[in-house]
Amino acid sequence: MALTMKKIDAIISRYEKSEESLLAMLQDFQREFHYVPEKGMKRLSEILSVPESKIYAMGTFYKALSLEPRGKHTVKVCMGTACHLKGSGQILEAIERELGVKRNHTTVDKLYTIESVNCVGACAMSPVVVVDEDYYGHMRPSKIMDILNKYK
Amino acid sequence: MEKVTIIINGREVEGIKDQSVLEVARENGIPIPALCYHPEVTTSGGSCRVCLIEAHQGGRMRLVTSCNYPIRKGLEIKTDTDLVRRIRKGVLELLLARVPDSDVIRDLAGKDGITEPRFFKDEGEDNRYKCIACGLCSLVCEEVVGVCAISMLNRSREKAPGTPYHKPSSTCIGCGACVYACPTGAISMKDVGATRKIWGKQFTMITCSVCGIPYIPEAQVDWIVKTTGKDRAFFGKCPDHR
Amino acid sequence: MEAIRSFEQLEQYRERLKASENKDLPTVMICFGTGCQANGSRDVAEAFRKEIENQGLKVGVQIGFKTTGCHGYCENGPLVALRPSDILYLRVAPKDVSEIVEKSIKKDEVVDRLIYKDVNTKETIAQYKSIPFYKFQKRISLRNIGNIDPTSIDDYLLHDGYKGLAKALTMDPDAIISEVEASGLRGRGGGGFPTGSKWRSCKAVPSDVRYVMCNGDEGDPGAFMDRSIMEGDPHSVIEGMIIGAYAIGAHMGYIYVRDEYPLAVKNLQAAISTARDMGFLGKKILGSNFDFDIKISRGGGAFVCGESSALMRSLEGKVGEPRAKYIRSVEKGLYDKPSVLNNVETWNNVPVIIFNGANWYAGFGTKGSKGTKVFSLVGKVNNTGLVEVPMGITIKDLVEKIGGGVLGGKEFKAVQTGGPSGGCIPKALSDLPIDFDSLTEVGSMMGSGGIIVMDEDTCMVDVAKYFIHFLVEESCGKCTPCRDGLPRMLNILNAITEGRGKEGDIETLQELCDVLTYGALCGLGTSAANPVLSTIRYFKEEYDAHIHDRKCPAGVCKELITYRIDKDACTGCTLCAKKCPQECISGERKQVHTIDESRCIRCGVCKDVCNFNAVKIE
Repeated sequence: MALTMKKIDAIISRYEKSEESLLAMLQDFQREFHYVPEKGMKRLSEILSVPESKIYAMGTFYKALSLEPRGKHTVKVCMGTACHLKGSGQILEAIERELGVKRNHTTVDKLYTIESVNCVGACAMSPVVVVDEDYYGHMRPSKIMDILNKYK
Repeated sequence: MEKVTIIINGREVEGIKDQSVLEVARENGIPIPALCYHPEVTTSGGSCRVCLIEAHQGGRMRLVTSCNYPIRKGLEIKTDTDLVRRIRKGVLELLLARVPDSDVIRDLAGKDGITEPRFFKDEGEDNRYKCIACGLCSLVCEEVVGVCAISMLNRSREKAPGTPYHKPSSTCIGCGACVYACPTGAISMKDVGATRKIWGKQFTMITCSVCGIPYIPEAQVDWIVKTTGKDRAFFGKCPDHR
Repeated sequence: MEAIRSFEQLEQYRERLKASENKDLPTVMICFGTGCQANGSRDVAEAFRKEIENQGLKVGVQIGFKTTGCHGYCENGPLVALRPSDILYLRVAPKDVSEIVEKSIKKDEVVDRLIYKDVNTKETIAQYKSIPFYKFQKRISLRNIGNIDPTSIDDYLLHDGYKGLAKALTMDPDAIISEVEASGLRGRGGGGFPTGSKWRSCKAVPSDVRYVMCNGDEGDPGAFMDRSIMEGDPHSVIEGMIIGAYAIGAHMGYIYVRDEYPLAVKNLQAAISTARDMGFLGKKILGSNFDFDIKISRGGGAFVCGESSALMRSLEGKVGEPRAKYIRSVEKGLYDKPSVLNNVETWNNVPVIIFNGANWYAGFGTKGSKGTKVFSLVGKVNNTGLVEVPMGITIKDLVEKIGGGVLGGKEFKAVQTGGPSGGCIPKALSDLPIDFDSLTEVGSMMGSGGIIVMDEDTCMVDVAKYFIHFLVEESCGKCTPCRDGLPRMLNILNAITEGRGKEGDIETLQELCDVLTYGALCGLGTSAANPVLSTIRYFKEEYDAHIHDRKCPAGVCKELITYRIDKDACTGCTLCAKKCPQECISGERKQVHTIDESRCIRCGVCKDVCNFNAVKIE
């Protein structure tokens, strides 16, 4: 996803030009570029006449947005209550061990970013791990590497 | 401007409908401590929770922040009950544990009998210098000054004021309103000669043509001229010598 | 797409749909809720599509096909329901598809291995209505889910869709509010505030502009009711909002959907679009004088945005920080205008309340809590899924009759209700009827309807720690008690679960709880004490064991347990030793292995890989 002003403008033009659309625009940046680029925020500030400081504050407040580029694949461990009771804590630790980074960090080869997320609503399959848009249920520490290797 | 009479600590006092309890109390010489509220900043208040009082209305009692609780007919306020003191103590203890270096907090907590909090800074966090994350600095910049150079960033314990990307601010005009508004003096502004440094940015100050003392950043003058159309020459002299 | 401009035209259109419907056409209904999709229902659907095409082309047999919203029996997905036989097949895989078509669609046979089998009695049941999970439910909110294709407005119309709206538009707006008041409907999002009363207060505030909003932020972990409704029956929410807007005089509505629910956003957006095309949204709805439209707003991953004032700030394009609610949002809400914010499930009930009447709705439930409630039954329970029951069902009946009892035959310990704002209710109170007031009385609350079942292997101190940890991360950071108090509570709970608890810790926790309850700015903070206080109230002995004896009776808290290999069960297969990340398991092949406790980090891998259940926790 090359970071071009053209792409940024294309995303902005998807929505009504009002402050109400800010979060949606920021999230589209996130989906397109795997983070919210400074260039994008500055452009939004220009076009919507909203101070950059306010947009930046949103970038730091909403967990769905990241200011640093995320890895090619995001590995999300669901920390919902049902998942917690069935051992999501141990799953997260196992993933951190296997990939060598803590949650909210990206592996050195920029392939994976580990995150812990709030309940994804698939509680019947707990513990759940979501890699990109793929859901994996009934996770166990021993299954982790097989799944992660699929994305190499 | 409908007048309303309410009762504070057994005493009848008069105010205007929807005026805050804190303002009415202060107008009537009744002391309530407060930190994050500033009368010139309408969006301020509700953050530090130091100004909590008991509000009795419609048969219900609850603890509310006096700085933004609107007075309405039938309201009775108690500012000094056991509950108020107990909860306020709890709030101040948390604040003192957060910023033990702040004299303002230490004094306020001391008045409620708290000298040493039970929670210590070695419990895995830095001690935030003197910032209590009340947000007044960013609210002043937005509402009163109109520049919006800083904003409150992050969530939970990490909440703190800052500039975009923590880079030297591109929009700050160096007026120092945030510094003056901060209840604990947590923002650093350094004036050395004709230079001011704040939010990572250096400002050149205009020197008064009469007394020769640097007194206002050029950038601030630019902003005032731009937004009000005032004549630049007006700022050649400092307020004492105009 | 036909634009409907009058009530008569609507009914004519509906009659035409009914006439062209072939009720006898054998149809395959595949659950396409997020849960089943994650479990592979897309592949099953693909297999069915191919098989149905084959049957049509080669054998000339016509078979209908529909993907629907969540059937609710999530534990046993992918779910496939057949019409008109009403057979429900569980855990269907692509390889089962041709057999299902041959036996159950072309003939009247049942594929035994795929139907429900009672875990205890081994009884098998093919008809979904007779399965205990469904038998005891009363599906009002979930009336359409699993029966309709959520992407088809025609299917919604075939199932009485927009009948409520048509009736409402002939009523006086005040009469609509009275009807909702009389029904006894209380907010389904957690607050339980009487809905009709909220609408009436809003309407009474003089203003040219008003808003209605739908809270689809469903942040309680373990709750996915709203997700299923938004995904599986989006028009019901839209219809409810149009009726509400008409009643209070709003012309603009918003649905705020959690970012983590992409399918809900997609289905809602499509539904809004078709509703607009057909004239249910926009100008002069159904030929009346009423204009109304809806926009969707996506959340950004912040639990606090489920709080009403924070939601409105987020909708406005700002940081989602709550504000003091001394002036309520029915007076000054979105953009400081009088606003009504209701939960997804609340809105979805409105059309049927208007169409069937308040008395009908008030016939269900208890005195103080009318109607039904959708619950997500999750955790250590056999039948994890979504259920809808009349208010007043006891905890015991919910967990045993519908839930099928505790997983693995373990001992039932407690249920947790209300998410991070709620509390734990112990086994001793399992005859408690579930309704708004009874739950609050025992120190919990209804919340959005998440019911987490806990067993003997659940550590209640760990549960308190889990919720406080959740809240520490989700706190917006604006007020002192929440921002600075919750981390102190977490430190104490961490100390207790790590064996560093001391005398006085419980009292300090209780003091901090009070500071939060009385001093916090918003509901997140003022209810944060519930998980801690309710576990201290009902499970004090567990806290004492952690603090005084340095033991975790449930075997959960890592620093207080040891992993040990049972010498009678170990076969010496060496698998655990090979997988142990600490390399601290020793033993010869075919000899009993041992764990070096001093290096064990209690990661759980050995227990996970052992095929002989030889790893024990003490």
